[in-house]
Amino acid sequence: MLLKWIYWGINVLAIVLVVRSLYREKSLREQYVAAMVLVPLILRALFIK
Amino acid sequence: MFEKRNIASVYTATAMLIFAIAIAIISGRSYLEMRTPAAGVDRVMPHVGFEQKKLSDYFAGLEGTAADTDVYIQEGAEPGGTALILGGTHANEPAGFIAAVVMLERADVRRGRLIIVPYANMMARSNTFPQDAHPQTFGFTTKGGNKRIFRYGSRLTNPVYEWPNPDIYIHPASGQTMAGMERSNLNRAHPGVADGGITERLAYGFMQLIEAEQVDLAIDLHEASPEYPVVEAMVAHENAMELAAMVAMELEFEGVPIRLEPSPKNLRGLNHREWGENADVLALLLETSNPSAGRFRGRTDEALILTGADKAYEKAAGLNRLYVSYEGGTEPMAERVARHVVTVKLLADNLEYVRDGKGIAIDGLPGFRELSERGVGAYLSE
Repeated sequence: MLLKWIYWGINVLAIVLVVRSLYREKSLREQYVAAMVLVPLILRALFIK
Repeated sequence: MFEKRNIASVYTATAMLIFAIAIAIISGRSYLEMRTPAAGVDRVMPHVGFEQKKLSDYFAGLEGTAADTDVYIQEGAEPGGTALILGGTHANEPAGFIAAVVMLERADVRRGRLIIVPYANMMARSNTFPQDAHPQTFGFTTKGGNKRIFRYGSRLTNPVYEWPNPDIYIHPASGQTMAGMERSNLNRAHPGVADGGITERLAYGFMQLIEAEQVDLAIDLHEASPEYPVVEAMVAHENAMELAAMVAMELEFEGVPIRLEPSPKNLRGLNHREWGENADVLALLLETSNPSAGRFRGRTDEALILTGADKAYEKAAGLNRLYVSYEGGTEPMAERVARHVVTVKLLADNLEYVRDGKGIAIDGLPGFRELSERGVGAYLSE
């Protein structure tokens, strides 16, 4: 159970870092890539997938 | 010559973020629909005489969890043996659980007892493997023109209920090591652990059921890819080999060729292997051929699930790369379900010869030709 929440914390940290990088990117394509990476991370953080 | 123009800004980043959230909402709704399907999806209508119980009646540790599942029991007028039929151990092997549903809706037990669990792993019914692109549901039209819809899931428990899995799964009873994801595979989790992961607890529940109901014959219904050697097969624990051999001969007489495979002793965790090891039960696993779960398949839609027709499989059959005949370039669901139903019927019919006084007689089940020709819908209730 503890491991589940440790992984959840890592997942949320990944979301924060990807959003940070999304706002720092200078290329539209890289922003798009970051946005797509966010989708599964959000679903996992909400325990939907 | 051409200067790269960067038009990215905080505004485009915000637009992208909103876009990602919108995609997450749309796909999230789709995933949630799998967990709480529309009314009527996966519905079963048991034949008169079946009593409904829950697996948690046998193991309280499952009560209120997503793993708890329905158990149906019908007792015949004459005393005899007890058979357990498990469908849906793997929710991406549809002929397994559809055969269990057909038997649940048709079986009329004259002698002995019949226990049917149509959806053994409920937690796998809402799951799909990444990139497998399976449709979420498939269906049949009944005689009366009604549509019966069923979910198409996966081999494994949905990670929503069991996550994360280890890199290496050590099977608790034997110490055998497997890929980490197998921890969520009901067919590797037997005999289960009372305080283990949710799939191990589910397996433990089935062991409790087998012991409490003093099951004589336990059958696990599966499907395999046509390119997999153990397909159109009966895999028998050594204690069930005599019974399986008799039934294999009868199937051949009926024009239903089947392989008879001894269950590998060193592959632990499989339902039938551990049932046979840990209880006084004749345990078997049945496999039919399912192109919709195979690796060669192309477009994966409802038609592939129901007909098994696929160009790549046709080509593979032409190159003699399959372990089934793949006659006519199809592998119809009706034939696969019929194969399971007729095999179960024959196993029950012959049980008396290996367990004195423990015979089981089941009426009302369609024969192989009958079901293959008329289709599954003709044998599902309205």
